[in-house]
Amino acid sequence: MVAGLLYLTAALYLLAGVLAGVGFTLHRRAPTRAAVGVLAAGAIAHGVSFSLLHTLSPAPPLTHLPSALSFMAWVGTVAFLILAWRARLSGLVALVAPMAFLGVAAAALGGPASGGDDVFGDGSLPHAHVLLASAGLALLGLAGLAGLLFLAEHRRLKRKRPLSAGASWPSLEALDRAGAFAVAAGFPLLTLGVVTGALWGHSVVGSYFSGDAHEIFCLIAWAIYGVLVSLRFGAHQPARRLALSSVAGFAILAIALIGVEIVA
Amino acid sequence: MKLLLVGMNHRSAPLELRERMAVDDPVPVLHKLVAGDEVDEAVLLSTCNRVEVVVLTRDAESARLRLRSLFRRDLAPEGAGVGEVDLDACLYEHRDGDAMRHVLRVASALDSMVVGEPQILGQTKDAYRAAAQCGASGPILGRLFQHAFSTAKRVRTETRIAERPVSVARVAVGLARQIFEDFAEKRALLVGAGEMIELALSALREAGLTAIQVANRTPERASRLAARFGATAHGLDELPELLAHADVVLTSIGGREPWLTRAVAERALGARRERPILVIDIGVPRNADPAIDALDDVYRYDLDDLAGIADENAEERRREQARAETIVEAEQQRFDGWFAALRAVPTIKHLRTRVEAIRVRELEKAFARLAWDETTRDAVDVLTRSLVNKILHAPLTRLRASAEREEGMAHLEAARMLFALDDEEGVAPPEPGSDGEGPEQT
Repeated sequence: MVAGLLYLTAALYLLAGVLAGVGFTLHRRAPTRAAVGVLAAGAIAHGVSFSLLHTLSPAPPLTHLPSALSFMAWVGTVAFLILAWRARLSGLVALVAPMAFLGVAAAALGGPASGGDDVFGDGSLPHAHVLLASAGLALLGLAGLAGLLFLAEHRRLKRKRPLSAGASWPSLEALDRAGAFAVAAGFPLLTLGVVTGALWGHSVVGSYFSGDAHEIFCLIAWAIYGVLVSLRFGAHQPARRLALSSVAGFAILAIALIGVEIVA
Repeated sequence: MKLLLVGMNHRSAPLELRERMAVDDPVPVLHKLVAGDEVDEAVLLSTCNRVEVVVLTRDAESARLRLRSLFRRDLAPEGAGVGEVDLDACLYEHRDGDAMRHVLRVASALDSMVVGEPQILGQTKDAYRAAAQCGASGPILGRLFQHAFSTAKRVRTETRIAERPVSVARVAVGLARQIFEDFAEKRALLVGAGEMIELALSALREAGLTAIQVANRTPERASRLAARFGATAHGLDELPELLAHADVVLTSIGGREPWLTRAVAERALGARRERPILVIDIGVPRNADPAIDALDDVYRYDLDDLAGIADENAEERRREQARAETIVEAEQQRFDGWFAALRAVPTIKHLRTRVEAIRVRELEKAFARLAWDETTRDAVDVLTRSLVNKILHAPLTRLRASAEREEGMAHLEAARMLFALDDEEGVAPPEPGSDGEGPEQT
């Protein structure tokens, strides 16, 4: 049942990506709007799959990379849908939908996680750590995607090329605000994820930091977030530079994640 | 019934003439028109680019002369100096199908100076509403205009004819929308007080931008313009300070050197904490130094950039126009069919009246001869009515349907001849008992 829902979610995310691509290619708003709707349907199916997974096994195997990616894809998608509901951001679906599809496809094809409940031990700390850290990372991903589209739009406007008729691209300000929201909401979540992870480690192995690859990855991500937060809310930087730093942070994080998986 | 349209537009008549012909209140003109015998229904459309009258008439030639006289005598004010020859050359006429197509094209903004512009549909609706309210427009023109409005809606939803702005002011608003999300909290600075600035100001206001400042070399002109649009007026010496708070800057003032230099822009960006500025420079020579393009948060567009975008948009609209014309053609044919079917209405009405008169007359004769009670009489009345309806149903339906086609006129003629509808009293049915081949009785 869970696997079936994951396949359905992947199909819906893929369809949303295709519709967004059609909207982008044909410069029509209708396919883009439809893509957002299909993405929302996918997010519902995705949420139901997590709920079922939790019912079947109270300790979902989110330490398994594909499952964690799937959860991040869900958080990122839900955050995007909330933002798109509040501002003209539907054009961002062209980037969010493919990323969400990749996250879910990895979970659907990755098979069941190894390790299972033993990794988690007792209590709610491990759940809190995994959920908070994944949500924080997902929002960092969303900030990166918003930054990517911002850079493309900035380049187009600087080159004085007209916006295609029917295109529903977000304004620079909406993209900048989306990036700010993702960073502002994601940093506290990841910070809490790091803290709960340290507490969990202490309760299991008696140490707050054991030098594990996942711990190092979490700290790298947290440091990147720290830089982004200080750039965005500390010094007044041009929006393009902020977008660039979000994209760079996202890229570094992705590379670090792959590195951690190789080491682990 | 014939449709006739007489008018002038931006292609057929110069602005001076259109200005003289413009009608502020169409109601007195419409009353005058429909009071005469030549015109049954009328709608008058008067905008800055066109003055047109569309009428429904039974005598197209008389109506044509009446409409030309309307333009020559009623619309041109006394002493306006509108020469008859010039005026006739500026007027165009469309009849029936062409008139329908013209109304549909006008409402769909395909006949506008700027193809796809949004105002004409509202103006057409206003013109029709005025005619309907004063009783000048009846069911036929009502149907035509409703059809025109739905056609315009189809054109707007099924093509992209109206999606790209083509005026400098609207291009500027479009660019601002690509940079800023919420206009309500944005501030605009307009430098200059010329016509372009005024148009831009109007477009920005329409787009929802309310905090507007006007700076000009002559403060009085700035004050006048600002007062009209609820903006604030300033002198040019305040520009650096105003720039620090402005999100959208439109500038068009004279001067050899640009006032918006890189140093001025950098200072403003520093003061506004790097929030972006959109600079629309419509001055010749340019008011903003192109060197400011190097600043990340400044988006500068000069007249050439705007003209390039407007031209590209206009080209896109022209491509969409072909699709829009196909929609108009199809909708015109639909309306034409309905309008042609109206030719059958008088004949059908006449035939029904004639048959009903025969039925009533024959019933009265029968009732006089037979001593039927009330119930029986009612039953026979219902029976004969039902018989008549059933017998007439097929021929009348076919007459109505064939009226939409070319051969319809011949069928209508045949019906009128067979049922003697053009005779004063018609042909009385043969008396009961006769062989039906006897001489006609009237």
